[in-house]
Amino acid sequence: MNKRFFVFVALILVMVIASCSPSAGSNPSGAGAAPAECASDAFGCAKIAPGQTIKIGMGAPMTGGDASFGIDISQGGRIAVTDAGELEGFKFELIAEDDSGTAEGGAAVANKLVADPTVVAIAGHIFSGATAAAIPIYEKVGLPMLSPSATNPPLAEMGSKVFNRIAFTDAIQGKFAGTYLYEKLGIRKLAVMHDGSDYGKGLAEIVRDTFTSLGGEVVSFSAITSKESDYTAPLAAVAATQPEALYFGGYTQDGAILANNMKQTGLENAIFFGCDGTYGQDFLDRTGANGNGAYAVSLTPADTDSKVKFDAAYEAAFGVKPGTLSPYTWNGYDVVAALIAQVKAVAIKGSDGNLYIPRGALVNAVRNLKDYQGLTGVFTCDAKGECNASGPLLVTIQDGKWVVAE
Amino acid sequence: MTALSSVSFKTPQLVARIIRSVIGIIVVVWAAMRIYNVLFVNQAYGLDTWVRFGITGLIIGGMYALIAIGYTLVYGILGMINFAHGEVMMIGTFGGYFVLEALAAIPAPTLANPDLNFLNAQPLLSILLAFLAGTLAASLMGYLLEKIAYRPLRNAPRLAPLISAIGASIFLQNAVQLLFSPQLRDYTNPDALARGTGWSIEIAGSQVLVTYTGVLSFVLSILLMVGLYVLVQKTRIGRAMRAVAQDKKTAALMGVDVDAVISQTFIISGALAGAAGVMWGIHNGLVYYFLGFIPGIKAFTAAVLGGIGNIPGAMLGGLVLGLVESIGPAALGIDFQLKDVIAFLILVLVLIFRPSGLLGAASVEEKL
Repeated sequence: MNKRFFVFVALILVMVIASCSPSAGSNPSGAGAAPAECASDAFGCAKIAPGQTIKIGMGAPMTGGDASFGIDISQGGRIAVTDAGELEGFKFELIAEDDSGTAEGGAAVANKLVADPTVVAIAGHIFSGATAAAIPIYEKVGLPMLSPSATNPPLAEMGSKVFNRIAFTDAIQGKFAGTYLYEKLGIRKLAVMHDGSDYGKGLAEIVRDTFTSLGGEVVSFSAITSKESDYTAPLAAVAATQPEALYFGGYTQDGAILANNMKQTGLENAIFFGCDGTYGQDFLDRTGANGNGAYAVSLTPADTDSKVKFDAAYEAAFGVKPGTLSPYTWNGYDVVAALIAQVKAVAIKGSDGNLYIPRGALVNAVRNLKDYQGLTGVFTCDAKGECNASGPLLVTIQDGKWVVAE
Repeated sequence: MTALSSVSFKTPQLVARIIRSVIGIIVVVWAAMRIYNVLFVNQAYGLDTWVRFGITGLIIGGMYALIAIGYTLVYGILGMINFAHGEVMMIGTFGGYFVLEALAAIPAPTLANPDLNFLNAQPLLSILLAFLAGTLAASLMGYLLEKIAYRPLRNAPRLAPLISAIGASIFLQNAVQLLFSPQLRDYTNPDALARGTGWSIEIAGSQVLVTYTGVLSFVLSILLMVGLYVLVQKTRIGRAMRAVAQDKKTAALMGVDVDAVISQTFIISGALAGAAGVMWGIHNGLVYYFLGFIPGIKAFTAAVLGGIGNIPGAMLGGLVLGLVESIGPAALGIDFQLKDVIAFLILVLVLIFRPSGLLGAASVEEKL
């Protein structure tokens, strides 16, 4: 009895020692297995042992009312993982954790992902609130983030080293639209209208300021009451100022009525210029011929070869067309693919057969992303982590279809 | 003792009158200054723009008036506000929508145009059918509403039917949402009556468009209002309605079937709201479950503005409200986002200075 007990305890001890020994071996001063980069790296290295996967984390709403966003974006990311193949015999893996889109959820998921040493980068988070809560946690351990969809402008102003995003903010969209109206379309007299929402008003103000600073004249800046059925009166007031184009910050329901009513209030020749809120099939359906020549901002990328290939792969894998669950499907692919590309660039295969990924170097690599060609555009991150340098994709209606604007 | 009580009784009244006058003068002077500024100093809008505002106001005002009559009729007879009236209008809009959709699906090919459907082959008949369906659906709704939601509460305290009306309103919105999905649908007009087409009139050097749908709505609403006036003043039904409005008990003693008259009132007000609903659909183009809410509230405002219980008052109130909404913000030089503020401000002012509305509410003796 006693003997058996001792054997049992000895066995346990051996097992404990055995499980500890590899970590002892990974000590840089040890067998020299870990590369020298790990010692000099500010955050050390992530060590992936053979048989383990290189993990990309994601915090996303996977349950609740906004679940379609998390499910869709993570599915887009899974395609990127499949496309990425292997790195020195190591596979990639995307682990999407449910943060339900809230700040508390974001912090909880961040703490969970930080605890896993094989997580090397974060594709996310999805919602701005959850992202803001997660940033400080990743900051401490040096996990680079690349968000597909957090658009709240202040996120990039927090001075974080790890936070980056490929979603364009409303500020970028507004500047882009104002510049496009003045320079590409040659508009000099612009009427600006919004629906009174934070989103619409914010966009409208940025467009107004951008357009004015370029030297254009904003002849009217007004708000309408959202969800009405008839806007001929406010449009008649705008028509009296004889603008060449009408910028509208708001959503499709009001935008479509405006585009229709413009044709009967003396604004027949003015261009309707919308935003990402007025893009979509609904706008085409409701405006018909009145919509021709209208502009909007699209989150759906143009039909490049790689996009067509992705669409086919996505539909084959998940049975729905990309863009139906959320407009960020392609962004989901892009963030995961870009992170994997940067991991591949910094990863070092150790002489001991383990894969080492210097965390600090990866943080810098993601921030220094340059001319990366994704499905949704070309990404070059600036010093604050705003990576969408190509700006939003402008589309216009020709013959009842959205086409990419020149 | 008597002196004291008379003082304490009269002084607040006097103070209230002074405060009212001061507020009134301030508001009127302020409004006059703004209007003067817009008209003569800035000269922001030409005659063409004012005509455009006016057209918009008259069209929407006609629809408000038709719905407002429903509020006023029911108030005149039952002394209650039928808050589900906006939903009755929405049901009418849906009735017209489904008929137009069905007609558009019926092929009526001719040699010249094999793709022609019934809707475009017979636009007048189709529109007539749509109005018929809309009014029928809404009248039926009005009838059922009274039968189910109000009749059991006929002798209940005054608040009970009011709560029941709000409940009916919520129920109808949700029922329609569940039946027909919450999505927004487009009204299908015949090509001859396509939205945004109409006569172009040159005013002050610019082309002002008067839409066919707008003219149809306005003319039809005027015709219906005249028809209703004749009905109430010249027919047996109208006489019975006036009798019930004056005194239910005495009317019953004189052999008037009060329940039948109340049902008829709901059917008539439903029919008018249904017609307004189909106009709304044909002119504005969108139909969905929540459509009736805002016109309902606006028409209630119009009814109070004109003097609730007073039929010509509801007509005038509707047209005035429509015009104030479309002209008011421009005339005062403020944002169109505030048009509802102006509309309700006018209501508040009218209630302060003419508590019984523009044309005066019908008192018990002269209801309707």
